Amino acid sequence: MTHRVARCTMFVTPTNPRFIDKAWTRGGDVYILDIEDSIPLAEKARCRSLIRESIQKANKGGASIYVRINKPFVDADLPCSVWPGVDRIMLPKTETAVEMQYAHALMSQLEKDHGVPVGHIELSPMIETALGVVNIHEILSATPRKIWSMGGGTGYDMAVNLGIEMFVDFDQYAYTSSYVALAAMSLGIEASGGVFIHNPTGRVDQRDHAIEEAEILHAAGVRQITALHPNFIEPLCTGLAPTADEMSWAQIVLETYQELTLAGESVTTVNGKVVDCYEYELALKTLEWGRACAEKDRFKDKALARSTALLAAAS
Amino acid sequence: MPPYIRRSLICLSVDDPKLAEKAFESWADAIILDIVKSPIQDWQQVLKAKMPTAIAAAAHGGAEVFVRLNAGTAQAELEATVFTGLTGVVLVGVGDRTELVQANERLEVLERERGLAIGSVEIDLEITTAQGVWNSLEIARASPRVGTMTINERALYQHLEIPFETTLEVEPIEFIKGQIITVATSVESQAQGMSYPLCVSQNEVDEATLTKAVRRARDTGFKGVVCAHASWVKACNEGFRPSPAEVEYYREVREVFAEGLKRGLASVPLNGKMIDVPVDLRAEVYLEWADRVALRDQQKIQAHQL
Repeated sequence: MTHRVARCTMFVTPTNPRFIDKAWTRGGDVYILDIEDSIPLAEKARCRSLIRESIQKANKGGASIYVRINKPFVDADLPCSVWPGVDRIMLPKTETAVEMQYAHALMSQLEKDHGVPVGHIELSPMIETALGVVNIHEILSATPRKIWSMGGGTGYDMAVNLGIEMFVDFDQYAYTSSYVALAAMSLGIEASGGVFIHNPTGRVDQRDHAIEEAEILHAAGVRQITALHPNFIEPLCTGLAPTADEMSWAQIVLETYQELTLAGESVTTVNGKVVDCYEYELALKTLEWGRACAEKDRFKDKALARSTALLAAAS
Repeated sequence: MPPYIRRSLICLSVDDPKLAEKAFESWADAIILDIVKSPIQDWQQVLKAKMPTAIAAAAHGGAEVFVRLNAGTAQAELEATVFTGLTGVVLVGVGDRTELVQANERLEVLERERGLAIGSVEIDLEITTAQGVWNSLEIARASPRVGTMTINERALYQHLEIPFETTLEVEPIEFIKGQIITVATSVESQAQGMSYPLCVSQNEVDEATLTKAVRRARDTGFKGVVCAHASWVKACNEGFRPSPAEVEYYREVREVFAEGLKRGLASVPLNGKMIDVPVDLRAEVYLEWADRVALRDQQKIQAHQL
């Protein structure tokens, strides 16, 4: 379950020791080892050669590990990315089902070769073009490989493709992100991101903005988002977990509804709020999510303590 | 990058005695000719006689020229209107892909008969119904000739029975606009349209209001507008292009990113913003777009000096 808690996923550059060596200390739920946009063409080969050791470096603090590969270099990137310890491969700018099927087949072979249970690693399409948006349902249905969560139809690449300038005061991606989310949810995949948050400065490093973002996402029921700066990790991990009040209310709903059904009834009110089957189902999900977040946090704390102790012993 | 530099389009009648003058003075990137079917004569013959002159008149100021046809009667209207000098036809009220396939086939015959390059006449789509919106993807994919997609907001509002009063805080067809922009982009076409509420009210407004409306339309993903008034053309020509400030910024982006690459970095900061591959790509696209707009303006200036 802990691998599904990905409140804050953050990109890390394997070729930059300043980022990759410190990632495990920052508390992120997920680190994305990037071979794509943050790596210059001339550095890609070196980056590929660093992925396997970067997995071990970045997950020392208990984070899950994703790898973002390059669409034009799938054949070169995947053999360096499919290793034990990797939870997800991210396929940028996916536009067709065929691209997914090709990556899936190659991953299956590599999983066999590299000692990973076949089908274990997720394959997540990144929807960053209009063509990817209109083809989203067939893309997500293209392979039997499980995808836990899915967002898209937003971001820089989408802006380039649509020919728009970002950071305006209205949601330019209302259609594209909703369409992607709807397709995902119709296939039983959790939708991530996709809520408009006004950011006129375009800055990605401000903690205040991270707190506001977490509040808005939390209110919309979104449980994960990608960050570009470490300042976002703590506010997002805290802000996207259920609050103590939400957990208490969910417990009350659970107990109330169980008593209600034993009495042969279906609706009541507690403190003026309706408790019915929908509130009950929501409460179950809140409790499950809260427990998963707590479990992830304990897992990270333990891993961090262990790695810190090992480091101290070594020095 | 918009496939076409078609920021401003205005509609003029083929029967307008001041067609040439109005087209010339408009400085629009494109003129859309509205046809009139004479009830008392053989309208096809009348139009056939008029169209070559009307096309030339409309193109006098360097504009591209289109003719607006009804999707339901396009076969007969194509016969009467497609001649040398026509950039494309606008199919109004297109509802399903069959209409596109048939228009495509008819155009190929006409191009062959009239000495036009095969595939040279573009088909643009004007969506006016829920059916057209619902089928927009399969319509857009039905012919490689599809160039631009436009929502005729007043027609669609009327079809959907949405009042024309523009007092709502939220645009009633915002999602539909997003769909058409996405569909158009997915087939390497482009969407044309104005932002709410001007798209519906179509009022003549002051320059500041118009400039703001055009900017919002551009930020939504539209690449130009069928102007309700000739007075909109200037703001559209200036608004549907990278501004001088954007050109300056993106030049700096390219310089900073190139410096980063020399140091082995593909992600560098600039005034608190992260500059990486997609940002650099966008900068490249914007600068190329600005160059193409400048070239298009130069072509129109030269046409006006002839």
